[in-house]
Amino acid sequence: MMNNEENKNLAHRQHVKYFMRFLNVLPSSLSSHDTTRVTIAYFSVSGLDVLGSISSVSIEQQSRIIEWLYRLQVHPNKQNGDMSACGFQGSSTVNIEFDSEQNHYRCGHLAMTYTGLCILLALGDDLSRLNRQALIEGVKALQTEEGNFSATLSGCESDMRFVYCAACISYILNDWSGFNIKRATEYIIKSISYDYGIAQCPELESHGGTTYCALATLSLTNQLDKLTLDQIEGLKRWLLYRQIDGFQGRPNKPVDTCYSFWVGASLKILDSLHLTNYANNRSYVYETQDCVVGGFSKWPDTCTDPMHTYLGLAGLSLIGENGLLEIVPTLNITKRAHDHLKTLHEKWACES
Amino acid sequence: MSDSGDSDIAWTFYKDRPEWSDITPVPEDDGPTPVVVIAHSEKFEDVYNYFRAVLQKNEISERALHLTKDAVELNPANYTVWQYRRDLLKELGADLRSELDYVESVIKQSPKNYQVWHHRRVLVEWLQDSSLELELTGDALLQDPKNYHAWQHRQWAMKTFGLFENEMDFVDNLITDDVRNNSAWNQRYFVMNNHLGWSDLNVQKEICYTLEKIKFVKNNESAWNYLRGVLLHDKRGLGGNAVVLSCCEELYKNRCRSPYLMGFIIDICDEAIKKGETNSIYCADRAIELCQALATKYDKIRSKYWNYLSENFKKAKYIENGSANNIHV
Repeated sequence: MMNNEENKNLAHRQHVKYFMRFLNVLPSSLSSHDTTRVTIAYFSVSGLDVLGSISSVSIEQQSRIIEWLYRLQVHPNKQNGDMSACGFQGSSTVNIEFDSEQNHYRCGHLAMTYTGLCILLALGDDLSRLNRQALIEGVKALQTEEGNFSATLSGCESDMRFVYCAACISYILNDWSGFNIKRATEYIIKSISYDYGIAQCPELESHGGTTYCALATLSLTNQLDKLTLDQIEGLKRWLLYRQIDGFQGRPNKPVDTCYSFWVGASLKILDSLHLTNYANNRSYVYETQDCVVGGFSKWPDTCTDPMHTYLGLAGLSLIGENGLLEIVPTLNITKRAHDHLKTLHEKWACES
Repeated sequence: MSDSGDSDIAWTFYKDRPEWSDITPVPEDDGPTPVVVIAHSEKFEDVYNYFRAVLQKNEISERALHLTKDAVELNPANYTVWQYRRDLLKELGADLRSELDYVESVIKQSPKNYQVWHHRRVLVEWLQDSSLELELTGDALLQDPKNYHAWQHRQWAMKTFGLFENEMDFVDNLITDDVRNNSAWNQRYFVMNNHLGWSDLNVQKEICYTLEKIKFVKNNESAWNYLRGVLLHDKRGLGGNAVVLSCCEELYKNRCRSPYLMGFIIDICDEAIKKGETNSIYCADRAIELCQALATKYDKIRSKYWNYLSENFKKAKYIENGSANNIHV
């Protein structure tokens, strides 16, 4: 199906169309993503941003996305002012009015809050309609004794993914009062395995995705210096060993496009991405490109999806691919969106 | 999971069921500007319209409990459905044993779904009964020996309820089936760390076991990483164990050029340099030679990394020689 000769260059126009389609209507086969639609919007909007094509989204469509997102922001409990459920929901599936007591069913989810904020930044929103204090209280309510975070108040596992989301939210809102850095750092260090990779929780198997979450968190919280030299050198080697042509997520597992970002960004955070082989990485990612209808998949000749498409592009951006905007490896947004965030931080500093 | 509702001919919509006629369905309100809209089937919309209705009025009933099953079937990733279902189970005093059977069947259909494994964990906590967890996770690992969710649940159950007794046999079998199964090697470390302990005797036994597996498949990162892990518990360090050293040198002499073997010898050299215990075999010169062989011949994809390490060793050598000269002067 895919001609290798044609498939060495970025199918830029097709990818733009691909994301634009996902921003509109999705087939019913994606019903299992019903509660996480914000993440699909994030992959699409951030994908368009990396492609340098935010302007392909009309101003009207941009404001539709923004309006839609703000409706998913959970506000403090009207009766008692409680803010522990605050954050963004991933869709309006449970966006209904409850009596005060059942309010816990309508609560934010850290991954949705994080990706929702990223979308707002990519679209240049001024974040003025956020209840920043409430979002921070929502983060605070989800940190466990162990130091990690649950995703939501409404019955959910806790692990490294949500430590990362909580760190990103705190960084974006420039407020760490809901995030106990010391306890989170201890949790991360405990989750370093005997092979120096980092796992979802202590003693589990090292994993490229969770290693990224851990390292990005340490970087956002300025705690990378809590790693010993042995740990840093061990991490570098563990991450570099993940390269086969593209990258795998664990030893002896197949290569997958998304790890060109997860492992690539981890190495970038450790200032070691330049030690990888860019050409092999690049050519693997291109093997998973669908240059006819756009999109990337995890493996060659398999189904594309918005997550692998976004992460494929982000991975290519890290190694300086032409035609792509620069990515900030810790937050997983473009430098353009991050620059916008910095102006907001300055504005907030003047206001306070 | 795909939404297969349309092909189900025997299905009656909730809106057409007399026993639900007292309930006014609550449609999803996605606001005036919906984006990333999923074109759900009519069945999906119907079930979730009634789900929202009972959730909003917090109905505690058998029919609501049954409705959550339909909602789960259409989207097992909806964590609110699971949470409501747990609240119902509690309020109704439902039979949690049959709930274990139910969630097991959902796990079999969706073994990589976070919500189902979380539900299982809460049930096991409520019942304080972990007697089925090793079998359940064992079955899931038979299907996919690297299923991260299954390993996470298994480790949690083992730690919480002390189920270590037969785990080493389980691990041995998995490693025999596939010596490259990194998850199984990780589990081996987990059992040693939490159950068997790192006595000198156990360290030696694990070293011998691992070296056998390395001789069987030499270019296996999982086994080499485990060997390093074991040696973290040998106070003499990476290069202090005679069996390990002789095995590595034997492999090298027999022309094994696995990057993991060479990397391991490089690290022994590095340790010797840092301890100030270099000799003619483990020294900066050998490390540099190995790094260069890796960079140019045996692990070219990481040539920049091996060159980077090589430069570090050259610097270390320069400092070493410099300070040695100072002593003589």
